[in-house]
Amino acid sequence: MLLHLGAVLLATESQTNTIWTRLTARSRLLCTLLIVFATALTPNGRWWTWAVYAISIALLILISRVPLLPLLKRVAVELVFVGVVLIGTLFRQGGDVLFQWGWIQITTEGVTVLGSVTLKAFLSLLTVNVLILTTSITALLHALAELRTPPLLVAIFSSMYRYINVLVDEFNSMQRAARSRNLMSDPRRQRTVIGNMIGSLFIRTYERGDRVHQAMLARGYSGLPPVAKMPQPSRLDVALLTLTIVILLIGQAIYL
Amino acid sequence: MSVTVSLFQPQLALHIPDGFLSLPIILVTWILAIALIAICLQRVQATYQERAVPLMGVCAAFIFAAQMINFPIPGGTSGHLLGGTLAGVLLGPWAGSLVMAVVFIVQSVLFQDGGLTVLGANIVNMGLIGTFGGYYLYRSIRYALGRDSLRSVLIGAAIAAWTSVFVSSIVCAFQLAFSGTVPLNVAISAMAFWHFMIAIGEAVITVVAVSYIWRTRPDLMYHPPRHAVADTSRSYSSR
Repeated sequence: MLLHLGAVLLATESQTNTIWTRLTARSRLLCTLLIVFATALTPNGRWWTWAVYAISIALLILISRVPLLPLLKRVAVELVFVGVVLIGTLFRQGGDVLFQWGWIQITTEGVTVLGSVTLKAFLSLLTVNVLILTTSITALLHALAELRTPPLLVAIFSSMYRYINVLVDEFNSMQRAARSRNLMSDPRRQRTVIGNMIGSLFIRTYERGDRVHQAMLARGYSGLPPVAKMPQPSRLDVALLTLTIVILLIGQAIYL
Repeated sequence: MSVTVSLFQPQLALHIPDGFLSLPIILVTWILAIALIAICLQRVQATYQERAVPLMGVCAAFIFAAQMINFPIPGGTSGHLLGGTLAGVLLGPWAGSLVMAVVFIVQSVLFQDGGLTVLGANIVNMGLIGTFGGYYLYRSIRYALGRDSLRSVLIGAAIAAWTSVFVSSIVCAFQLAFSGTVPLNVAISAMAFWHFMIAIGEAVITVVAVSYIWRTRPDLMYHPPRHAVADTSRSYSSR
């Protein structure tokens, strides 16, 4: 049914003891952010920069020992969007014309944009997925808190994460109920049924929020959930962060 | 997994991946998005106090779940709810935008639905324009036609839902075009064509959901009708 599910199961700590997982979650998050931003913000057509980044991302995949199949499966999902750019290249002016058919023409500039954008999206997706497949959600949330994200926001994230599966299950069971009563056969009727389901799910959700709040109060909650102590960054963290920054800068320096 | 569908798989079109936007656009949209989130957090904290965390958490999970349901849209394909206007109508502009922003961040980090660098743009498109803009459009129409009638609420919600989706797709097209990724005419025609249809689906679902809530628990809405405020709240769900 959806790109979203399935992934929930993968987002657990799968890896054993590698250099990458020995880093604190905060350093891993920082490395990922740095790589993604550097990759995505490089202007189109700088192939050598991405070559350098691709090699370092490949090394990252090797040392983190991410399971390759889930990694590629998750990456495949987003590449659908590239289709829009593909259409765009067909109508783009500028550069030399490589191929022409009626009013559709493919130019060198179009190919450059298509290649660059696809490559950037691909590399960024790989990097983010390495992080997600090796780092548990709780560790990520702690890392966010350590990076000075507003505590309220982090608390909302964690409470949302906890209830995604509950609400998705509830939605699926409502859908199953509607289907078993033959309500989903006529498309016009189907929209009404789904609208009503969403309405009733909102009411249940709001009441669930109140109940959760009561339960939290009963357990001594006073505004923000307590934050556990996380492992302190070691020398390895500093070294790998520096290495990442140096590689990123070398990549950019090629075109200076 | 719906990977095999057409290139224009409509529901992906508002979740731009990494690498599609250029530096200036990313900077501007991130600044807007961070400001929006900061103000929303403040307002939500002031309104809900220590209820904020559980309530916003479940509401974000609700929008997330609601976005997963596919329904047939006019034009033959299927689409899903984006939920911006629905969140605005039910929770108000601040909580609504916050919930939408949280949903986008989680989708982008955990499910790669939209890239990290373009998160700012996605939040601006759907949170600021979709929820904030949608809410104020809905409110002005509702208040102009009569605050306490179901008809004016539904007309307001329908127009706001349609407009918010359509306008945010156009803004998204402009962002893609200014970044030099897709030529402007192609971006606008591709986006406008599909989102014209998607927006109709969004409006229908929003209207049905809002009218359901209006008939069963009007006191839960952000601006409840006056007759509902007097009623004490009753629980319809057993769980």
